[in-house]
Amino acid sequence: MVSYFLRRLLLVPLTFIIITFMVYAVFRLTPGGPIERAEMMLQQAQSSEGGGGVAAGLGEQSGLTKEQKEKLLKHFHLDRSIPIGYLIWLGLWPDAQKDDSFSGILEGDFGKSYRYNDPVISTITSKFPVSIYFGLIGYLASWVVCIPLGIFKALKHRSMFDTVTSFIVFLGYSIPGFVAALLLLLFFATDNFGMNWFPLGDFRSENWDKMWAAGNIWWCIKDQVAHTIIPLIGYMLASFAAMTILMKNSLLDNLGADYVRTAFAKGLPERRVIFLHALRNSLIPICVGIGNAIGLIFAGSFLIEKTCNIDGMGLLGYTSLLERDYPILLGLLAFGVMLRLVGNILSDIILALVDPRVRFQ
Amino acid sequence: MLGKILYLVIVLGLGTFLTRKAIPWILVTLGRLLGFRMKATPITKKRLLRFKSIKRGYWSFLGISILFVSSLFLELIVNEKPLYIRYKEQTAYPALRDWLSLWVPFNSISTFTPKNKFGQAGKSGVDFPFFAACLKDPSLLLPKIEEAKKKLERVEKRFKRLSPPKESDSQFKKDRFKLRKKAVLVKKRQLETLLEAKQSFEKGEASILQTLYPWSPTSFRTDLHKNPPNAPSLKMGVPLGTTPGGRDILTLLLYGFRISLGFAIVVAGIGYLIGIIVGGLQGYYGGWVDILSQRFVEIWGSIPFLFMIMIIASMMPPTFMILALLLIILRSWLGITFYIRGEFYREKSKDYVQAAIASGVSDWSIITKHILPNSLVPVVTFAPFGIVAFISSLVSLDYLGFGLPPGTPSWGGLIRLGLENLKFHPYMIIVPVTALCATLFAVVMVGEAVREAFDPKVFSRLR
Repeated sequence: MVSYFLRRLLLVPLTFIIITFMVYAVFRLTPGGPIERAEMMLQQAQSSEGGGGVAAGLGEQSGLTKEQKEKLLKHFHLDRSIPIGYLIWLGLWPDAQKDDSFSGILEGDFGKSYRYNDPVISTITSKFPVSIYFGLIGYLASWVVCIPLGIFKALKHRSMFDTVTSFIVFLGYSIPGFVAALLLLLFFATDNFGMNWFPLGDFRSENWDKMWAAGNIWWCIKDQVAHTIIPLIGYMLASFAAMTILMKNSLLDNLGADYVRTAFAKGLPERRVIFLHALRNSLIPICVGIGNAIGLIFAGSFLIEKTCNIDGMGLLGYTSLLERDYPILLGLLAFGVMLRLVGNILSDIILALVDPRVRFQ
Repeated sequence: MLGKILYLVIVLGLGTFLTRKAIPWILVTLGRLLGFRMKATPITKKRLLRFKSIKRGYWSFLGISILFVSSLFLELIVNEKPLYIRYKEQTAYPALRDWLSLWVPFNSISTFTPKNKFGQAGKSGVDFPFFAACLKDPSLLLPKIEEAKKKLERVEKRFKRLSPPKESDSQFKKDRFKLRKKAVLVKKRQLETLLEAKQSFEKGEASILQTLYPWSPTSFRTDLHKNPPNAPSLKMGVPLGTTPGGRDILTLLLYGFRISLGFAIVVAGIGYLIGIIVGGLQGYYGGWVDILSQRFVEIWGSIPFLFMIMIIASMMPPTFMILALLLIILRSWLGITFYIRGEFYREKSKDYVQAAIASGVSDWSIITKHILPNSLVPVVTFAPFGIVAFISSLVSLDYLGFGLPPGTPSWGGLIRLGLENLKFHPYMIIVPVTALCATLFAVVMVGEAVREAFDPKVFSRLR
């Protein structure tokens, strides 16, 4: 088993390198990099300067002088070939160390954002609280809803209750989370249907910090909850159907197993058999999902964060894409891939811990 | 009205015929030509019967496929261009041309119908809605005639101010004279065309056979006499309203349905084909092929594919085919490989395959003739859910603005419009979202029924 995990761990850097290299190459091969961006900004600056600026701007159409361009190219290591540029990004190319600005991601330096000129790391980590807030609450809430629902559905298999909830589950499966959030916003956050109960997006109200400082804690909590509910449902919907059905099927599987039959035959009370014997085993597949849930903090939130205008990782990725802010995109990607890989291994470890029957080879 | 109902009945009837009889027959014949036996084994027959017995799934399947097959003829059903148009000796079949130019490969069919041949002055394509309106009420041409008269007068006045240039005059003066003369002639001809059109419309020398719902996704609803967006109203003839740009939402929705479902079917079909090949090779040959390719699949699967597609799409706006290709390469072939690999492993160890190997049958025919038909259950059970996933992917990409090129009718684009108009035009979001959810729900129902029929789980409980 140790050798299995060692092999899995060895695969992590390989995967990481292949994926990030692919994306890096895509960035380098396509037009619209930082140079074009700098030129565009320069032109904008010139045109906004007004009358005098226009005449000056007409003098040099290209925007940037040759030296400026070279300096920029050097600054972003775009004067190197793609593999070397990638190694510099990783921090493995020796002479890049002498360069003042950038020491590579292996030393924890992801470079600076083209837009804000802030370090990428701090830009990304500043979005952590929001993403983790929704990710964690969403995941916990889906446990609280899905596990009891799945248990009930399994125990009342083929009853009226089962049919009705199955219908709801399939409906939930067929509505993408962001669409559900959009519908909820429409019904409960606008005046169209006279039910304007929730705010139309954002993480909190603008004056939240002020109110918090003023000690108006009750108002703050109410405001935060009101802003949370609709996006939270959107987040939850992604895993709602899958988790409920998984719970139901695994409990049904276990209820049909021989050891449950034996337990019943011994004369144990039904409650004890179901909740102590069968349920424990049927929670295993759900527990294994914990590892993958780590990735949820990052993935799948583009859509909901855009819909509800929440300033988290997803929206950061989205705006960076629109602005072609490559260092941030590469940073987000590296981060997301890392999370996913670690999550996969974590799932395996959890499976090995909770299920002694599992042997990895 | 009666004609339209008849039209709809014919369309749906043809769609049903194609879906239930013609397309299965084509598929079976194609399979026979490729060398498969194409005869259901008793087990498959039993599964199909079980699928038919699950009513909600079977009816969803019929409904979705009939709608999709009918939507392949959408140019002939919902199109601004008429099926048939006649003006004096001129006849044309613009809708049919549209349809043929879409489906005949490597064609050079022109979809352009020039205005001047159909009693409308100008050089662009015929304004069909106006043609139809004039046919009903030729007096609609009067303001146009008035306008043309005025223009002619103005041009004539300007022309008369010039005296004919002499030989000694400059080139500029000669050219000016020529141009103004030409302008007079053009305006005169326009006026003549219009007068002639009015006459022929009144005499009944023109006719038009419009499609069921005569609007295209590219046309603007100019007939509503109100600034867009228009709310849905049956009385005005806009059952689902218009977008802020004045396009008709019903047509966008219908064309979007075809694009979404077609996209998902293409992506799932090609992806599963690749997945079957890769998974089959892994499972059949095993050993190093298996280990290496499995590691590759694992690595490939860790790519955040939506993010990746968005990155690529943000740099070069993709077309339908590029987007489908990206989704196929990055995602759709992966999931099925594990299941096919497992099936192949299981089947290969069975006696009938061992017997085939022992009697020297070639690998190719063992794989295609013996193992493959017995290991397609996961493909069948996963396909509907795959289609749901790919429809959602396309909608998400379009919604974020990284999908099909602008101007393509897409559900994601409509939903984004809805988000922008959330506060004041709720119908703009309710309509596409309802269509999306109904479609996805129907496909999920199909998937559930297929799973139940092909891979039934029997739970036995003591109590």
